[in-house]
Amino acid sequence: MSLLSVLSLCVQYQTTQGTVRAVDDVSFELNAGETVGLVGESGCGKSTLGKAVMRLVPTCDGLVILDGQDISHMQSRALKDARKTMQMIFQDPYGSLNPRHNVGTIVGQPLSVAGWSRRDIRDRVTELLEKVGLPKEAVKRYPHEFSGGQRQRLGIARALALSPKVIICDEPVSALDVSVRAQVINLLEDLQQSTGVAYLFISHDLSVVEHISDRLIVMYLGRVVESGRSEDVWRQPAHPYTQALLAAAPVADPRLARRRVKSILQGELPSPLNPPPGCSFNTRCPYAQERCRQERPMLRPVNDGRKVACHYDLLEHPALPLVDAAQ
Amino acid sequence: MLSLTIDFARRFARNRAALVGFALVILVIGVALAAPWLFPRNPLRIVGKPEIWPFVSSRYPLGTDSLGRDIAAMIAYGARTTLLIGVCASLTATIIGISVGATAAYFGGWVDELLMRFTELFQTIPNLIFVLTIVAILGQKIEYVTIAVGIVTWTPIARLTRAEFMSLRDREFVQACRAMGMGNLRIMFGEILPNALPPVIVLSSLVIAGAVLFESAVSFLGLGDPNVSSWGRLIGDGRTLIRSSWYICAVPGLAIMLTVLALNLVGDGLNDALNPKLRDR
Repeated sequence: MSLLSVLSLCVQYQTTQGTVRAVDDVSFELNAGETVGLVGESGCGKSTLGKAVMRLVPTCDGLVILDGQDISHMQSRALKDARKTMQMIFQDPYGSLNPRHNVGTIVGQPLSVAGWSRRDIRDRVTELLEKVGLPKEAVKRYPHEFSGGQRQRLGIARALALSPKVIICDEPVSALDVSVRAQVINLLEDLQQSTGVAYLFISHDLSVVEHISDRLIVMYLGRVVESGRSEDVWRQPAHPYTQALLAAAPVADPRLARRRVKSILQGELPSPLNPPPGCSFNTRCPYAQERCRQERPMLRPVNDGRKVACHYDLLEHPALPLVDAAQ
Repeated sequence: MLSLTIDFARRFARNRAALVGFALVILVIGVALAAPWLFPRNPLRIVGKPEIWPFVSSRYPLGTDSLGRDIAAMIAYGARTTLLIGVCASLTATIIGISVGATAAYFGGWVDELLMRFTELFQTIPNLIFVLTIVAILGQKIEYVTIAVGIVTWTPIARLTRAEFMSLRDREFVQACRAMGMGNLRIMFGEILPNALPPVIVLSSLVIAGAVLFESAVSFLGLGDPNVSSWGRLIGDGRTLIRSSWYICAVPGLAIMLTVLALNLVGDGLNDALNPKLRDR
């Protein structure tokens, strides 16, 4: 039994123009101590998925099973206990800390909500600040006195306060400078080694995800299109969308970059209000056939732990006839 | 927090008009506090000849009214009434306004719909008539006037609080609090409210000025508390003599005008000092 199982989770938003299925039938598992990367372009529903797992946005269907307990139908009191097991790190280090509280209050907040005594909170906060590499004198200071990287460390300290088993990292480094990014990622990795926490690492930055993840989940328009071990997906993407994503990622070695086949994605992300029939990627897929416009592909297992939502086996027959994009 | 307070005081002091307003408000508060020492006896008692003009008699520097009561004493005691009603009414309005606005914005949906229609209902009734109605129903006592003024002036505070809460409730620090299982009330008042408060404080300070005017209007119309001295009542009493002894209306009128002006200047000063968008211009 894995630590966190998500089973066909759906999230819907009502808008004035109709219903948007931001997350549609998504299932995945997260084991203790591992990192699962969740990638996809902006608006594909990855942040919504993270928040739905945290029960910050209402779900309309599916189950979230954390440590053997279904939390997706829990009432607020029971949920409060379950929340100790799962915490979240937010994207914006400027918006995720209350500007009116000092660091001691912010980092100690989960503890105070959990009913710890004042003295225990103070000791734990000092310990946490040390863990994330901030001086203990920071306790009395306010968020605006810190840099972006330091604030994100505060966010991490807060998430770690109750020693959770799972941390949902919602684009934790995308608002940071590249130089600070590496520090924060290394910090997250060190903390994982010392505490054995599992991460669901949401990001649109493939180079970051590649570095930190054991497994990858690729989302497109609210659905999972591919999942599998990180190095497998990276080496041999099985879904045309993943191929295009990886092709768009920057490569450090310019000679390698020149040799790479460029398959730049055509067109825009279709409106989630009105997703295309059949495979949702068919409007931009270079291999799209008639079948792709009619029939939605299921997420099917291919080989050891790999799953792909495509009618064709691109691993076996990579040279499908390319369809002219204009057609 | 101390450095923030000093910072705030420095920004407030940079605004000359606000400082003048602040000095005037302090003066009015001082007069109100000192009234029992300056004029130990009942201000509504008759002390001398009627209609002594100001600056004529040294015993009655602001003159006497048509009954021979000391205007200076009545102004000093009137300052107490006026300020008390102003501050308490503004406090009432702020408490109602924040509760309604915060609840509406935080919970949204039908709660928001219901509370906002309720607010609009209050907004559609002409304020002065509403105050008069409430005072007429409850009775002519200073507490009831305070409550009545509070009841008619909370709507803009509710709308402002709602707008502030709307922009804050989806911020990540609020989500973080929800993610750690914090209760709704604690999130609303411990987390969101401190961030929403600065513009609300500004509006509340302006509501004090409005409340002073309402109180004067109610007293002028003879619906104020008959047992206390009040500026509005002084004007009301003096209006029959406005052709001959216009000073009976003019002195309390000037007091009202200066106080309201001072409160507005302080409100504007607070706005400049608390509004981060205008900082360091």
